[in-house]
Amino acid sequence: MAWELATFPTELMGEAPVLDGVEVEIVPEGAPVRVTHVLDAVEPRIRPDGRAAFPTEGKAGEGRTNRLEGVTVLSCLDFPAEERPLHEQESVVDLAGPGAELTPFAQATNVVLTFHPRGGLGNEELEAWARRTTLSVAEELARPTLEAEPQEVERFELGPADPSLPAVAALVQLSDLGPLYYQYLYGVPAGEAALPRAVDPAEILDGAVTCGEYHWAALRNPTIVFQRNALVRALFREHGRRLRFAGVVLMRGYEQSAEDKRRAAAAAAEAAAGLGADGAIVTTDAGGNSHTDAMLTVRACEAAGVRTTAIVAEMADPDSTSPGLTDWVPEADSIVSAGNAEELVPAWRPGRVLGGGRLLDGSPAEEAGPIPVRNYLGAANQTGQFTLTATSW
Amino acid sequence: MVRAVHYLNQFFAGLGGEEAAETPPTRLEGAVGPGRGLAAELQGVEIVATLACGDDYFGEHEEQALASLVELLEAERPGLLVAGPAFGSGRYGHACARFLRTASERLRIPVLAAMHEESPGVGTAEGKVLIVPTAVNVAGMRDALPRMARLAEAVVSGRELGPPEEEGYLPRGFRRNRFAPKPGAERAVDLLLAKLAGEARSEIAGGFDRVPPPAPVPDLSRALLALVTEAGCVPQGNPDRLPTIRAQGWLRYELAGSRSLAAGRYESVHGGFDVKLANEDPNRLVPLDTVSELADEGRLGRVHDVLYTTTGNGTPVASATRFGREIAAELKEAGVEAVLLSGT
Repeated sequence: MAWELATFPTELMGEAPVLDGVEVEIVPEGAPVRVTHVLDAVEPRIRPDGRAAFPTEGKAGEGRTNRLEGVTVLSCLDFPAEERPLHEQESVVDLAGPGAELTPFAQATNVVLTFHPRGGLGNEELEAWARRTTLSVAEELARPTLEAEPQEVERFELGPADPSLPAVAALVQLSDLGPLYYQYLYGVPAGEAALPRAVDPAEILDGAVTCGEYHWAALRNPTIVFQRNALVRALFREHGRRLRFAGVVLMRGYEQSAEDKRRAAAAAAEAAAGLGADGAIVTTDAGGNSHTDAMLTVRACEAAGVRTTAIVAEMADPDSTSPGLTDWVPEADSIVSAGNAEELVPAWRPGRVLGGGRLLDGSPAEEAGPIPVRNYLGAANQTGQFTLTATSW
Repeated sequence: MVRAVHYLNQFFAGLGGEEAAETPPTRLEGAVGPGRGLAAELQGVEIVATLACGDDYFGEHEEQALASLVELLEAERPGLLVAGPAFGSGRYGHACARFLRTASERLRIPVLAAMHEESPGVGTAEGKVLIVPTAVNVAGMRDALPRMARLAEAVVSGRELGPPEEEGYLPRGFRRNRFAPKPGAERAVDLLLAKLAGEARSEIAGGFDRVPPPAPVPDLSRALLALVTEAGCVPQGNPDRLPTIRAQGWLRYELAGSRSLAAGRYESVHGGFDVKLANEDPNRLVPLDTVSELADEGRLGRVHDVLYTTTGNGTPVASATRFGREIAAELKEAGVEAVLLSGT
């Protein structure tokens, strides 16, 4: 009998971690826990064919991917305050109490990773480590599925459909406002991903898009919102019934000049028209400036003969009768409200706090008082993932 | 027992029709006319007096009428003021809404009117008055009074009101969250298919406050020009703690004859963009250097020696409007004729 032991260089492990440590907590459903400084929420996924679950090369949305149901990875990091290039906002997930229903993705088993930054490292380096580690953990958590039989297999395929049905596209906006404000397409910031362009709808559901954008917590789309995207799934479901799913166009939010905004909006409309779309659902990420991108896209689509419905969150003061939209065009005559991000969620005293004991405004997380919806991760996300909406009272 | 006062026009108060429309504000004892029917429906609330005013009198002497009505009202020490139903009557509906708004602001008591949803009074109320919707004419009286009574009892109880359709009032326009039966994505599909079928519906009403450009400054070479910014530009170190987002106010800084905003002496604390380039040269946000040169060349009159600044980041429109009004008042006072407003 002979035995061989093969040796490989250390570099294969990848770069050594630059964090002082990571705390891992498994939090069961309904535990009285508040999680603070939440960067992202990710569903555990792995591919039986060995390709990456969150690929940076190749094409997602082909073959098969395994998901672990009822588990959410939440990553937390308190950036070193003194060098915050942009002022990211507090991002909270409550697993019980009045805020819990705002973040329904976190209601099952939650694997909470709290990264402890090592001094002297820049925010961008830290963020990159935290993000990659979180995606790797999500992939590892799904590994046992490789040896098991699935309880269910869903198939996403656009078969032939009655040509008399209206063709509908989804125009999905990805943010790029610089460091800490990126959503990634195959690991590339949205601004460098040659947007706008049409992609296969299944790519969205299969980990092609990941989130590294940390501005208004409620108005952003964490990774899980793309993995479980309600809009893409609804359009797949309705394909051949009430509509034909024409495809997905990815576009960038936070184009930086008026001219770029107009050009990008026109190009997104052209891409939608190129898919043969009669109508398009226009989504948004984050707020302010990116709402102008969405509204200009609505205008450009309508001018190109593609009818639109937009999904936007409101930022209305409680005593004001204005919906508090940053921008609006008269062509936007069909809008879905993703809720009012300014409304306060009643105070709640959690039994434990994970992620960091103080909110970014300095208040103790266990006695923070009422917290606005805007601080709840993804609560008013503008792809229509959840049921939160605002109505006139 | 809560003391309530009821407001009616001359007709419903039984003072007469059009010929009595000039009647000035008048006090009548107890419940009168429709007030009697309302009183019969009310539990725990007593109509102690009725105030009446002619529609024409109110329309032609609004300020006087309001002053008299408020005075008469105060004397009753009421815990509630109700008005109408005014149904579709425009003048009556307007008077109800105007009086109730004023009374609510001055006396801080709950107020409640009833009128048709298309009455001009609904616009006058601007969401500041609870309005029970009624039929367009008096045939809706029997239906309206019990609904007014239920809402009146609810408001005097001090409990938080539920949504308009549950409590029976016209939406005032305040945006409140709730959970819809379907996710936004499915509602978007429904709305888009309806629009493609010819029926555009929206969960957010259109309309936006677009500011028309003002007339050009007649002669810039003689004008006093002020620099105003929402770019979060403050003296280095942000001594007055201007917030990086959601500023609650604005700040004023003396420029003390400076002709340029020096790097290291000014910085931007705005939280909505990368301030690196701005902080290399703060004049990129507030071009004091350029306007000073233009003044030297005689193309501008003078530069106002005060910088007005705030952070325009996540600021609600209502707050921004207030900042603008307050800053404009100071500028006007200082004789400023032109403003260079740099936005980010």
